[in-house]
Amino acid sequence: MNDVNKAAVPSRKPVEVAEQALYEIRKKIYPRAVTGKFASLRWLFVWLTQIVFYGFPWLVWNDRQAVLFDLAARKFYIFGLVFWPQDIVYLTALLIISAYSLFLFTAVAGRVWCGYACPQTVYTEMFLWIEHRVEGDRTARMRLDKEANGTRKIRLKLTKHALWIALALWTGFTFVGYFTPIKPLFQDVVNFSAGGWATFWILFYGFATYGNAGWMREQVCKYMCPYARFQGVMFDPDTLIITYDTQRGEPRGSRNRSADYRAKGLGDCVDCGICVQVCPTGIDIRDGLQYECIGCGACIDGCNQVMAKMGYPKGLIRYSTENALRTQMNSQQIARRAARPRILVYSGILMAVVVIAMVTLYHRIPVKVDVIRDRANTLRGMDEPVVENVYRLQIMNTDELPRQITIRVSGLEGMTIESEAQPLEIRGATNRVVPVRVKVQRAGVEPGSHRIDFTVEARESAPGSQAEPIVIHEKASFVLH
Amino acid sequence: MDGRKLIQILWPAFVIAGAAEAVFFTVFDPRDLRLYGEPLEASRTAIYSVGFFALWLVAAASSALTIFFQRTAAEINRCPIPDARDRPVGCPRRADGGTCS
Repeated sequence: MNDVNKAAVPSRKPVEVAEQALYEIRKKIYPRAVTGKFASLRWLFVWLTQIVFYGFPWLVWNDRQAVLFDLAARKFYIFGLVFWPQDIVYLTALLIISAYSLFLFTAVAGRVWCGYACPQTVYTEMFLWIEHRVEGDRTARMRLDKEANGTRKIRLKLTKHALWIALALWTGFTFVGYFTPIKPLFQDVVNFSAGGWATFWILFYGFATYGNAGWMREQVCKYMCPYARFQGVMFDPDTLIITYDTQRGEPRGSRNRSADYRAKGLGDCVDCGICVQVCPTGIDIRDGLQYECIGCGACIDGCNQVMAKMGYPKGLIRYSTENALRTQMNSQQIARRAARPRILVYSGILMAVVVIAMVTLYHRIPVKVDVIRDRANTLRGMDEPVVENVYRLQIMNTDELPRQITIRVSGLEGMTIESEAQPLEIRGATNRVVPVRVKVQRAGVEPGSHRIDFTVEARESAPGSQAEPIVIHEKASFVLH
Repeated sequence: MDGRKLIQILWPAFVIAGAAEAVFFTVFDPRDLRLYGEPLEASRTAIYSVGFFALWLVAAASSALTIFFQRTAAEINRCPIPDARDRPVGCPRRADGGTCS
């Protein structure tokens, strides 16, 4: 992987391969592999995110898949927590937390999400790794693409695409495994008996991965990503960005290592072009901050290696801020500027939402009740002395403890309730629809709609449980004609 | 229609369809939906999937109209001019030599 060192006199002229890409005429980018602090950091994130992504669906918790967004059953399991559609407020909270984290990170250090954790970056990195293993380094790849189709070229291209497709399909399978239980799905896939839609979505997601990470790459960031377009508004002059130190670098120019370049009026930039060659979006960071820059730090790693070889200090390209470059701040001064109003506001809101979400989640009542009056049955028995309304009580047990349910009703004199034998047993993380008949003597009740209250008492079934029963009141209307 | 316009229509529509799908099916259970008064027979997974493509189609129709209305007056008025060089300055089709279709 030590490409940078190998290339003592790197060619500045990349092969001109213009391909009619989806968005505009695009010159194919051959990113040179690079090693260094930021490349290692990115690989660390590739490992972390992908161990989580590929691994989580296989974890087991209480005899079921630990992380499962069971769309068919409309229940989301995340370890010990079970979420129902009624819990959408937590999803909203999660989205707000994600958005504010993104705002905060962006305001502090630019596009760190893009450079290290975005799936587009992570999968491109993995696909590039495969490409590098199969086709060789940047120069070899450019040469291969220029070659006429021969056995060697076809063999290499087939191998690369086969590996890409295998990885993409596994990714698609894993993705679907988050929404439908992965172990039975795996059996089905192996036996070619997976359901039509499951197969379709595996192929769809697999194709998207293959297309995005193999073919589209930086075009996704440049043309398709909404965040890339609006991230600029979170920037201010104290935001850490990847910058080229113009004062130190210019005038750029090639020179002999032994020559006194300062005497010749040259700056520190040797104009080797490494920073451009390693850039996954193909920009020249020396032109200043550009929206195409995904903040990956590849140019920093590349440049630092060249600087080390030349015996110059590192950091000609580095993380710095607009203000720091202008007023020559040191890193402590830069760090101190982090506590500015924008950052404090973002952090404050983020902390508040996190705390509120955690507290409400902790105090979440694990039993929910929805009462639906059965309209078709309200008119029954117009002339009879007893009036009856029928309700369906949907009782949801949202955590994993089995519970015993008792239903009572109040609101009108002499009301009685009929249902299956109580208490009803309701298993953990399930819901039950209980039909209930409520009866009242017609005499003494005005015609019209009356408010009544259902009281649902849920007691943990476990013998010897000392927990207080959960009592839920749910109002409904009783109609009498 | 060139590929660039096609993706300008399909991609934003895809993003919006994804968001709309999540919101819609959080609120509505496919089992509660009715088609001309009849309960839907298909599985939830099938309804989610078909629903996604239906939403994508609707959003794509909106994107397509946006693209369609983006044509400038000059383009609409003078586009039948077969020779691209004769088209008014600023017309996006001035240089490419193509026809108006």
